[in-house]
Amino acid sequence: MIVKNSKMLKSLQEVGFKKIFSENVRVTVGVGTCGTGNGADKVYEKLKKDIPTKIKAKVDLVPVGCFGCCFEEPILSIHIPGNPIVLLNQVKYYNVDKIIDFVRHKEIPEDLALCKIEEWDFLNLPEKIEIGKNYENIKVWKELPYFGRQEKIVLRHCGLINPDDIEEYIGVGGYSALDKVLNNFSPEQVIAEVEKAKLRGRGGAGFPTALKWKFMRGAKSEDSHKYIICNADEGDPGAYMNRNEMEGDPHMVLEGMIIGAYAMGATEGIIYCRAEYPLAVRRLREAILQAREYGFLGKNILGSKFSFDIDMVEGAGAFVCGEETALIASIENSAGRPRPRPPFPANKGLWGQPTNINNVESWSNIPVIINKGGEWFSSIGIPTCTGTKVFSLVGTVKNTGLVEIPLGTELDKMIFNIGGGSSSVKDIKAVQLGGPSGGCIPKDLLSTPVDYESLTGIGAIMGSGGVVVMDEFNCMCDIARYFVTFTASESCGKCVPCREGLPQALKILNSVCDGTAKLADLDILEELSYMIKNCSLCALGQTAPNPVLTTLKYFLNEYKEHIIEHRCSAGVCQKLFQSNCTNSCPLHINIPGFIQLFKEDRLEESFECILLDNCLPASTGRICRAHCNVKCRRTDIDGAVSTRELHRYIADTTYAKNKDEAIIKKLIIEKLPPTGKKVAIIGSGPAGLSAAFYLLRLGHKVDIYEKRAEAGGFLRYAIPPYRLPRDVLDREIGFVEQLGANFLFNSEIGDKISIKSLKDEYDAIFIAIGAHLDLPLRCGGEDLEGVISGIDVLEKIAKNEPAGIGRKVIVVGGGNSAIDAARSALRLGAQVTIAYRRHKWDMPALIAEIEEAEQEGINFMYMVSPENILGSNNHVKSIELMKMKCGECDWSGRLKSLPDGETFKFPCDTVIKAIGEKVKMEFIKDSGIEIKQRDKIAIDPLSHQTNIPEVFAGGDFIIGPSTCAEAMGEGKNAAKGINIFLTGKDNFNKLFKKFFYKAEVPEEPESGNRNIPLELPLEERVQNFKEIVQTFSKGQAITEALRCLRCDVKKGDEKT
Amino acid sequence: MEAKIEKKNKFELIEFEVEQGEVDKVIAKYRNKPGELLLILEEVQKLNRYHYLPMNTIQYIGEKLNIHTAKIFSVVTFFSFFNLIPEGEHCITICRGTACHTKRSRFLLEFLIDYLNIEEEINENEKIFITTPDRMFTVRTIACFGQCALSPVMELDGEIHAHMNTEKLKNLIEKIRKEEKEKKKKKKEMNSNDRKE
Repeated sequence: MIVKNSKMLKSLQEVGFKKIFSENVRVTVGVGTCGTGNGADKVYEKLKKDIPTKIKAKVDLVPVGCFGCCFEEPILSIHIPGNPIVLLNQVKYYNVDKIIDFVRHKEIPEDLALCKIEEWDFLNLPEKIEIGKNYENIKVWKELPYFGRQEKIVLRHCGLINPDDIEEYIGVGGYSALDKVLNNFSPEQVIAEVEKAKLRGRGGAGFPTALKWKFMRGAKSEDSHKYIICNADEGDPGAYMNRNEMEGDPHMVLEGMIIGAYAMGATEGIIYCRAEYPLAVRRLREAILQAREYGFLGKNILGSKFSFDIDMVEGAGAFVCGEETALIASIENSAGRPRPRPPFPANKGLWGQPTNINNVESWSNIPVIINKGGEWFSSIGIPTCTGTKVFSLVGTVKNTGLVEIPLGTELDKMIFNIGGGSSSVKDIKAVQLGGPSGGCIPKDLLSTPVDYESLTGIGAIMGSGGVVVMDEFNCMCDIARYFVTFTASESCGKCVPCREGLPQALKILNSVCDGTAKLADLDILEELSYMIKNCSLCALGQTAPNPVLTTLKYFLNEYKEHIIEHRCSAGVCQKLFQSNCTNSCPLHINIPGFIQLFKEDRLEESFECILLDNCLPASTGRICRAHCNVKCRRTDIDGAVSTRELHRYIADTTYAKNKDEAIIKKLIIEKLPPTGKKVAIIGSGPAGLSAAFYLLRLGHKVDIYEKRAEAGGFLRYAIPPYRLPRDVLDREIGFVEQLGANFLFNSEIGDKISIKSLKDEYDAIFIAIGAHLDLPLRCGGEDLEGVISGIDVLEKIAKNEPAGIGRKVIVVGGGNSAIDAARSALRLGAQVTIAYRRHKWDMPALIAEIEEAEQEGINFMYMVSPENILGSNNHVKSIELMKMKCGECDWSGRLKSLPDGETFKFPCDTVIKAIGEKVKMEFIKDSGIEIKQRDKIAIDPLSHQTNIPEVFAGGDFIIGPSTCAEAMGEGKNAAKGINIFLTGKDNFNKLFKKFFYKAEVPEEPESGNRNIPLELPLEERVQNFKEIVQTFSKGQAITEALRCLRCDVKKGDEKT
Repeated sequence: MEAKIEKKNKFELIEFEVEQGEVDKVIAKYRNKPGELLLILEEVQKLNRYHYLPMNTIQYIGEKLNIHTAKIFSVVTFFSFFNLIPEGEHCITICRGTACHTKRSRFLLEFLIDYLNIEEEINENEKIFITTPDRMFTVRTIACFGQCALSPVMELDGEIHAHMNTEKLKNLIEKIRKEEKEKKKKKKEMNSNDRKE
């Protein structure tokens, strides 16, 4: 039926509306391609089959597009008239019976529900629609962090209406904007409205749409044909917004185009859609047929004098055809090669006639601009970038999907609040915006607002809206290489800079990832990139170097690491790392190597293999955080290999047999000849000890300044003996002593000994003082007696001094130090409670430590924060705690903890502060060392050198409170840097030797489940500081070693 | 639809051509529409059993549209969708888009090449289109399916598979191998039955 006038449209709108909000129960299933990929089509088929047979009353079962919440697909909605629409998530085939059962009773299966929609603003209807209020237990959709900051304008129909039914589109106000235009607006007035809206093209360049339309309007056609084209060739890998817009709401695109055609005087329209989107193509074709049937396309639309029709063309797999002149060329039956501009398509486009091309999303914004007005539109977002933009948030982020936010929102709101932060155990490292044309933004720039100008300011572009989040397991050199591989293969070949330049850039990037590049190659790469950027004919070449330029700018360290260190810390570039475990270990211990040596019963060699990379093998074997396990391949089978316990066993057994003596003697003999240089190391913690171990063997003289009476730093003065017995620590510190270190105890750097004075006496200084100051609680009463620092408590206990522990202790904090302080206090006879401001699963402490603390009888209070400490006679009597509630996600990927308002008092006589540590910075002043913002010292990441050439720094002092292994790794790297500075050459490799062992890979994973070390029974523990975790037995060690899958063996190794 | 069996090199190349009558129908459908060449080539390729465009077909289309074969050849070699050599029985397309790449789709691709005993080195600069010697599988890559939330994504015979890993891939390939074996068995039985009669 042809809709001839506004009156017919209005009555059809009422009919359509009643279809959506009828008296029947309405069940919708999201069968966009995402849903289908997750099994939504099976759910839909089963419902289609079963509903008529199982439910007597009429139920409307409707296929819809995607609501945008891709990580929760398949999504099904149930609307029982008079009630809110309820969305169910991750609906599987086997949930269908239960759902049908509930629907039959007109009820909702609340345990399957994700959220509810109580009201909705369709924007083209005069008022918001009140759908219904009910279901107290189900959250309103905007309460979910994923939706909280979103504003659905372009996506307002997707997931709610049937995209294959034009009447449902009309029902929510569709084509009313067209009607308004044809009856009330002249073409110039339409353009004026779009200008008021300040709409900018959504395809990537952000060109003002109204301006483009004006050019087109003013252009003269030679044969009275003018064309408008919808660019639906969304080729950016990682971006699929347009696909969803076309699949979920094709009529909105058509309406936008028809209005645009009227405004610009176009006679024909073309939608150019990539063939990789078969469902979108099908939906658009269907929509065009329906639009013709109802008279919105064809002659005399809605009874006016305006005639217009649309054809569809499918792309054929060429990314470059997203560029407008290439797109036009491919429609003209040529290969899709761009043409120089001017002349611009608005003057000479398709077949030489005026042509206007806009992106799908630009067209989609037009109907709402007409109905709500340009001024309304320009009030959303920021003045220079109005309206919303749909982004596809993908990659290593928890909540992936399509996100529509007002322009100008900060990027971190999208990544953390909406996205939920990192989806892996590693932190987010970078965000790639704009696909292969865009740039990589590092984590510290994530508070940049998302608008065209701010992003170009930091070297990125918004592009079509693809946002790919990357974590520390992604290698940025590999990412640059990946994008250049893509653009090089998609280059049309017409112009030399792109055709020849990109493969040359790729060659260099390949050599970086292979480890064969030289530092000078990076300069060539940069120069080449600028050349390609400035001289290419079209935007493909002009933007292809962006990933390279941004990674060179923000991630230069990774390039240098690949080239100089021949290492890929992310563990991606196969030629640059041995095995995942060795690569993840901050000390890069040859883990498969020492395990194989042990398997071959060569205990001493196995010990030496460990020792050369780790001078505290038995100590770390007790307390290391096992970074090696993060990517251990065995995890996917039955649990990671217990590497830590293994090197503990090897060290403990070697010590029991006194075999270490000979090995240390050997190391002493193998020391390189004396260099005559003197190094002062400030701090005898893990970083200092590790640096000393290497510097001494390199032939330098080393003096270690330690402010306390004994060496070890945190290892002695913070980690309690029940985790790390003193005799083990002493023996291993002895190695550094035997190698010739001169310890100066009770020597704190400050007034008497200053950096300046040390500079006169020594050739190099390494500052490794750690982070020993507890952060203040910042609540009232902190100066009362009985309020003590966790670090101080642990230090006093280590020195066997009275620690000031009362009878009823509360420890505030959730890290390992808090647990250590709590368990130590328990052993001194106190009743202990730990108070943490977030949930248990957000605690930074090791899970094993938390569980042991629970077993030992420590109480835990979660979601509380100290508000005030109360006392009498100047001594602590109780602590007032504030109950906390969860807020939005913060940059650590955890939910912020916010005060809830309610407080309560907890009686106690001791409050131990353990909420984190910071670094003492006072002695740095007057030293000339450069301090960056937030009290951090600037050092060269590879050599650890500060701005003063002979002063180096490393460990917790630089990286903040971290782990023992990381601190030791810092010391090891600093030693290398100091040696190069002192001698001018890099002979660090001389300190290591190659061990020869079999390259045997087990055919099948051997040995079964992970071995768990025995522990001291609970009764024997709590009154003393005896070591809890025992060394493996020999049998355990052997079976555990057999579990290693030998990931280090590469193809061809078996022959050597 | 006729099949010409021709032995070429080591392979038994079964060439397949779409009948001219069918091609005419497609041409008539899209003649004089914008982008007619792309639309015609795409649909004719779809009609071909082995999803490719033999030279004869290309020349025929050129004659009918009055476009020189060289120009059509330029279009066919420019766009990655068009194949000049036949595909295998089953086509596996691995998505190499950014989201899939960050989820290790390259390893999936390498695993697939290895698992199918394909000897050739893959060079992602050029279009990857490798068919196994037994013509059972063709392996291709695509820059992006636009299914990024389901990464890593793979398409097998037109059907999208989400959240792929090597286990799932192995299972799918084995399933197809089993089905093909059954088909062959049935065919043999039918042939021997025919002979008996």
